[in-house]
This record gives sequence, C-alpha cells and structure tokens, in this order.
Amino acid sequence: MRRFSLLALPLLVATAPSAMAGHTLSLLAMADMPLGGSAAGDSRYAGAVARTVRAVIEYTRWPSPIDPVVLCIAGPAQHAAQLASLRLSDGRRVERRNVAASGAGIGGCHVLYLGQMPVGQQRALTGAVRGRGVLTIAEADPGNTSEAMFTLTYKPDSLSFRLNIDAVSRSGLKVDPRVLRVAQGGL
Amino acid sequence: MAEPRLPTLRDLLARAHLRLILFAVLLATASLVLSGGLVIRTYAQRNLELVARTTAYTVEPAVVFEDREAIREGVISVAAGRGVERVEVRDAKGRLLSEWTNPHSGALASLSRAANRFFWPEPVISQIRRGSEQLAEVRIHGNSEGLLRYGLAGLIIALSCLGLTVLATRILARRLQSDVIAPLEHVAEVAHAVRQDRAFEKRVPSSGIAEIDQLGRDFNALLAELQGWHAGLTSENAELVRRASHDQLTGLGNRALFDAHLAEALAISHSSGVTFALLYLDIDRFKVINDEHGHEAGDAALIAVAELLRGAIRGVDRAYRLGGDEFAILLGSFAQADQVDGVVERIRAAMAQPYRLPDGFAVTSVLSVGVAFSGEAGETAEALLRRADAAMYADKQGHKGLTD
Repeated sequence: MRRFSLLALPLLVATAPSAMAGHTLSLLAMADMPLGGSAAGDSRYAGAVARTVRAVIEYTRWPSPIDPVVLCIAGPAQHAAQLASLRLSDGRRVERRNVAASGAGIGGCHVLYLGQMPVGQQRALTGAVRGRGVLTIAEADPGNTSEAMFTLTYKPDSLSFRLNIDAVSRSGLKVDPRVLRVAQGGL
Repeated sequence: MAEPRLPTLRDLLARAHLRLILFAVLLATASLVLSGGLVIRTYAQRNLELVARTTAYTVEPAVVFEDREAIREGVISVAAGRGVERVEVRDAKGRLLSEWTNPHSGALASLSRAANRFFWPEPVISQIRRGSEQLAEVRIHGNSEGLLRYGLAGLIIALSCLGLTVLATRILARRLQSDVIAPLEHVAEVAHAVRQDRAFEKRVPSSGIAEIDQLGRDFNALLAELQGWHAGLTSENAELVRRASHDQLTGLGNRALFDAHLAEALAISHSSGVTFALLYLDIDRFKVINDEHGHEAGDAALIAVAELLRGAIRGVDRAYRLGGDEFAILLGSFAQADQVDGVVERIRAAMAQPYRLPDGFAVTSVLSVGVAFSGEAGETAEALLRRADAAMYADKQGHKGLTD
C-alpha cells in the first residue's frame, strides 16, 4: 500500500480495514486519489469519487461506442452526490440513473455503481451483469467479496480504488492496462 | 661559425609526407566526427522526442488519477537513462507534478553540463491530453554525454592515427631513399670520380626512374663530350710541347731541348762518372747552296742532312738542330772511344749519298764534325760545347785544305 498526500486534509476518520487476506480469487490493485474540496452537505469523498469514476469510465472501452454513458446507482449511495453532472473529456455525457438494489431496471446500464448494501446483494448484481459489458464499481466492499471490477477504498486524506482483474477479464470490457500500472502498488 | 646543415632529400620527403598525411588524417577525422556528431545529434533529438511521447503516454492515467507516486515511477521506468538530463511533468497550471534529474558521476559531469546547454538549449515538450482537455506536459532536457563520448573517441582515434602516421612516414621515407636517393647518389659518385680522378670513361647506370634516367642520360652525354674535349686538349698540349722543343723544319730537337738534355746528361755524368760524347756538326759550304740555289734549296738541304743524320745514329743517340746549319748529337752509352769514331764514320758515309734540291740539282754535303767527351770534373755545358766547337773547327780547316 502506498500513501500519497495532495491537498491533505487533517481528518480523523479511520479508514476501513482493507482486507486483502483470505481472498484468493481476485487480483487486486489500488490507486490513490487525493480528496478535493466538497460542496456543503456532500460526503467529503464525493468529489474524489466523482473524479475517480470519471477517470475509470474514460479508461474503459466498451465493445461498441456509447453516448451517452448510462451510470446507474444501485441502492443507497453515500458518496455519489457529484456523479450527476459528469462530462467526459471527449465530450460524451454521463447520464445518471437510480436503480433499485434488487436489480430491477439495470438493463440499459453501462456503469453500475453499487451503493451501501449487503455483500450478498452486491454479488447478485455483479453476477447479473457479468459478461454483458457493464462496468461495476463498488462503493462499500471492505472485504473485497462483491466481485465488482473496481472497489473504492477510503483513507483519511485520499480515496483509493482496487482493481479486481478477475472481474475485469470476465466483464466483456477492456480497461486500459495503464490503469493497472497506476494501481500497481496494490498488487 | 658552423655552416648550417642543409636538409637532405630524405628529410624533405619525410616532412612532405608527414604534412600530407597529417592533413589527410585531420581532414578525415574532422569531417567524420562532425558528420557523425550531426547524425548522432539528430538521432538523440528523435530519441528525446520519443522518450517525451512515451513518458506522456505512460504517465497519462497517473496524471488523471492524480497519483504522484505513479507519475514518478512512470517517469523513472521510461525516461531515466542515458541521453536524458532532466524530466519534468507539470500540470496545466504549470505546477510541478514530478521531476527526475540524471545523477551525474565521473569526470565528464561538469563538462557534460556545459555541453548540455550548448546541444540542448531548449527542452523537448510533449503534451498530455485527454480529448480536448490539456492535462499536463512532459519536458525533457537532453544529455550530451553520448555526444561527448563520441567526440572523445574521435579524438583518441585521431591521435592514434597520427601516431601511426608518423611511423608510416618514416618507413615511406626510408623506402623512397632506397628508390630515389640511391640512383641520385650514383650520379653524384660518378661526378665526384670524374672531378677527382679525371675518370671520363665512367658512366651513370640506369636507375629505373624516368626522371633520374633522363638526368643520367644527359649526364652521360655530357661526360662523353667532356671526354672528347679532354682527349683533344691532351693531344694539342702534347703537340704544343713538341713544337716548343723541336725544330719545325727538320723535326729534330731544338736548341732549348739540346740545352736541357745536355745539362741532364752532365748532371748524370758528374754523379755517376759515366762518360758521354758530344758531337758538334755543321754543313760545309752551306752558304754557297743558299746563295746559288736560294733559301728553299737551303731548307731542303737542311731537311735532307737531318734525315741522313737520323738514319746514321743509333737508337740511344739523340740529334738536335742548334740553328742555321749547326747540328749536335749526344751519344748515349758507349763502351770505348772507337765506338764514337764508328758513329762519326757512319755519319760521313751517310753524307756521301746525294740528295735532290728543289731545282733538280743532285748534291752531296760534307759535314765538319767535332767530338768532345765529358768527364772533366766540374766542367760546364758551355766549356764542353766550346771544346766540341773547337774540334769541329779543326775538322773544317782540314776539309778546306782538301777542297779549296
């Protein structure tokens, strides 16, 4: 694990334990995203989450070009406040949609953002979209058992993500290998 | 003051070779180093551009994710190495995200820094873009260590070549000496022999080099002419010497030769005690021939008498015409005085033969002969001559009694 601080905020919140041990199926990678300022009322991770999600979308290639990118928020999300107004650097829009944690209505989703929900439910959702070209990002998966492609992890002064290479290879999507390099410290 | 030593041909050849080869080596080295340096500079520039683009590509996600550690690792993995002096990654606002500087080491470091400013005054820049968004830029400053190494290698090679050049020049000069200078030395040897020993018959051998052969041929022709001139002069000199000592009319030795030979004979006689005899002769009534038949007849008579005298004397005796109708004979070695009488008798007998004058008259001449023997100690040539003259006069008086 690497630590890096940019615009570090002296925060006291302890990060969730990043449980690597005991997980044998997935290869995990991790990168740090410094926390920027947040709008009043938002989670203090909201800005960093928005930037990370946007970067992850940018480095992901779908089998056929999509525009706009449909980003579905499943279940109650804690840090997704700024995900509504995303615009990619190539000009494509990101359209936010809220879907039920049960999985109803995820048919048109390109990106599935898993909010706060039990691991079993997360696994049901990731299993449902596996191989169908949907980018999965888990907001709350400290045990790395959701089988989402990207899992957000939280540190006092930065946001990190882990990359589940197993999940990426089964997703039907292509993720720029340079992203793996950015996250290589987690391997 | 010692005379300044003149340079030899070998020195001149060696110097000319050295200059020529030095010039060639320096020219070749300079052009090679210069063109090679330009090519390397061009490739180094392309390499820098490539490194800049690769760095930009590699660190792009790290910039997007704002992961400085990943940027640093990306820069080191791609850009760090020879040919790169310094790498900077700055974001769109110009803030430094990451930098890497070549850790210099070795003696070339300070020289290298100076050369960097000369060869790479401007960094190579590559932009990191995401779509239309300008994210950051990579600035790469070139390193001139490779160029310096190339220049240094060129210098070392040039110096080595120069060393070889000096060696080769010496070997070449030695070969040229045997090929060119030896034939020239033959010419000089012949010239020296001709001057020193008058060896005009010597000739320069063929050398196998066109110019020197030409010189040798001309020299030989000159020698042949000299030889001719020398032979002519020698014979003319001999002729002049003969004329100075001989009577032109009769071809007998003249008065000067007689005086010299008489003095010589006297000196030998005095030192060794050997006696010699002097005969003094003149033609009786020569004046009558001259007056009655003319001077031509007189000359003819002199020639005829001289011829007869020459026939009458022995090989060891020598005859001279002293002037007018006066002749003298030096009798060489003889054992007894009657041998001298024998010679005198033969002369008188020879004179009995008639000879023909130019006007057709056949005449005979009578010679008056006076004999004097050497041997008196301290006697001079004049005294001996006077004795002979007196004896001849006595003989002539006797003849007058007979004819008149």
